[in-house]
Amino acid sequence: MMCSRSLLVLVALLVRTALFAQSAPPLPAQEPSTQALLDQIQQLQKRLTDMEEHQRRTDAALAALLSSKDIIEKTEQSSPPAASVVEQGVVHSDHDHAEVREATVHYPSLQIRGFGDVDFSATDQKGTTSGFNLGQFVLHFASPLSAKVSYFGEVSFTAEPSTYDLSVERTIVRYDYNDYFKMSFGKYHTPIGYWNDTFHHGAWLQTTISRPEMVKFGGTFTPVHFVGVLAEGNIPSGGLGLAYSAGLGNGRSSVLSKAGDSGDINDNRAWVASVFARPSRLYGLQFGGSVYRDKLTPTQGRDFDEWIESAHLVWSKEHPEFLSEFSNVHHRDLQTLQTYNSQAFYVQLAYRLPWQQNKWKPYYRFEYIHRPNSEPVWDISGTPSVEDLVSSTVGVRYDITNYAAFKGEYRNTRTGMNEPRVNGAFFQTAFTF
Amino acid sequence: MPIRWKIVCSVFVMVVFFRVESQRQLAQIRDADVAVVVNPDTPVSNLSLVDVRKIFLGDRQYWSANTPVVLLMRAPVARERDVVLKVIYQMSESQFKQYWIAKIFRAESVSPPKVVYSSDMANDLVTALPGAIAFVDSRDVRSGTKVVRVDGRLPGEAGYPLR
Repeated sequence: MMCSRSLLVLVALLVRTALFAQSAPPLPAQEPSTQALLDQIQQLQKRLTDMEEHQRRTDAALAALLSSKDIIEKTEQSSPPAASVVEQGVVHSDHDHAEVREATVHYPSLQIRGFGDVDFSATDQKGTTSGFNLGQFVLHFASPLSAKVSYFGEVSFTAEPSTYDLSVERTIVRYDYNDYFKMSFGKYHTPIGYWNDTFHHGAWLQTTISRPEMVKFGGTFTPVHFVGVLAEGNIPSGGLGLAYSAGLGNGRSSVLSKAGDSGDINDNRAWVASVFARPSRLYGLQFGGSVYRDKLTPTQGRDFDEWIESAHLVWSKEHPEFLSEFSNVHHRDLQTLQTYNSQAFYVQLAYRLPWQQNKWKPYYRFEYIHRPNSEPVWDISGTPSVEDLVSSTVGVRYDITNYAAFKGEYRNTRTGMNEPRVNGAFFQTAFTF
Repeated sequence: MPIRWKIVCSVFVMVVFFRVESQRQLAQIRDADVAVVVNPDTPVSNLSLVDVRKIFLGDRQYWSANTPVVLLMRAPVARERDVVLKVIYQMSESQFKQYWIAKIFRAESVSPPKVVYSSDMANDLVTALPGAIAFVDSRDVRSGTKVVRVDGRLPGEAGYPLR
């Protein structure tokens, strides 16, 4: 009998233990169980969802209150007044309509984003001074004009000794037929290679402080801008992920670093075609090539054919990030029929460190440019150009927040065969807003 | 078998049952699949994970010539968003934000995914907006939306990738 009682007590205890494990919260003195923690998380999530829902309903009701007179009148005709909606809580269907109305794209719907940077530089090059300077202040505009037509614009303000230089960097109106064909008109960053078409004027977007010399703004090695018409889209290619762009435009102006914004310098149009692949099995990989053709008239009476071939191989994930690009610029003097080939490439490697919330990203870049001594185009145009560049950059990027970064780097550069090497330290705070 | 042993065995079985059931419920809470839901009129019922990635990266922007894709994403902290960032984007929250700023800045897309604050809101918008696609906890999928197979599998099936 005694034994049976003990057994019953044991049974009761075991059943209680099992039930307790499933539902009851732990005693304060006990170690919190996984179940209890999950319950707490669930409760907190529910509370958060309820609070968000409440906030959203209130916002929606207030938005309805503040919306135009027409909308208010319509609301009054078909549903309770907005004021009473606030008092009573939003009726579900009205609430749904507010959500849908908020989520529906309105045309035009202008969005503006700004980029800026503040820089410090110091080098051991003779004749230079160290100090701070403001980088480009950039405003970007994007606005859908209809379901298929959209506008993009980019303007930059660059500090000059006595003023600011305002420049329209890109202005594009685009019609999307589908994913395979999108046509646009305007001023672009020429889709040659990778960097020029990927990183635009906001320094915050790129890992390093500056662009590679071969695609530098104001540089002349490749035409950075292009004015004309561009078709682009995906190519049905399964897992290979092919895409293309093909454009026709004015090409370089008499100032080789600028596009023919106000008209072409000659009757010959430039064209560009590029193809790249983003294989779906290797998410992050991109490789491709492009060809650019133009007729240059750097000065009256001197014409040159220009062919640029470019290839790139990129791993865009940040563990690691690998960017590499090569370009060959071929010039042919149409008077003497003499040809010249200049080459440039860069290789950039970076790695987002896993510690401290992935804020640190060290990087290294090697750049190389070679142009023959006899190459006349840049000299005729009077545009300064690097002859033989060998440059190494080591630096680190620290993301202060999601929208601001601090970068510091050391550069060792030689700009000509007989030129001395220049060492420099550069710092930048880049941000978007 | 003596009665006491029968009782002990019964109790043992009960304890084991409650434990297993408890663990199963916990696993359900933790590992509920994330369903890909689209507007019922969207002409798609099966997508590969690669297709889903292309769509949410903004590389595929049209279901058909007349139906643009409308991306909906849960706000930060939601589990669905964590799953999408981990499996689809393979990015951190910071990288995700930077990706979309860069995407718009390159003139490749007009706007980032629209933010939704609850499963109810996701369901509402997917039902109402032509071309809309969203990720919803599979337990919160509401009638009126279409659940898309991913790599031929529905949420809850073995090998479903979004969990």
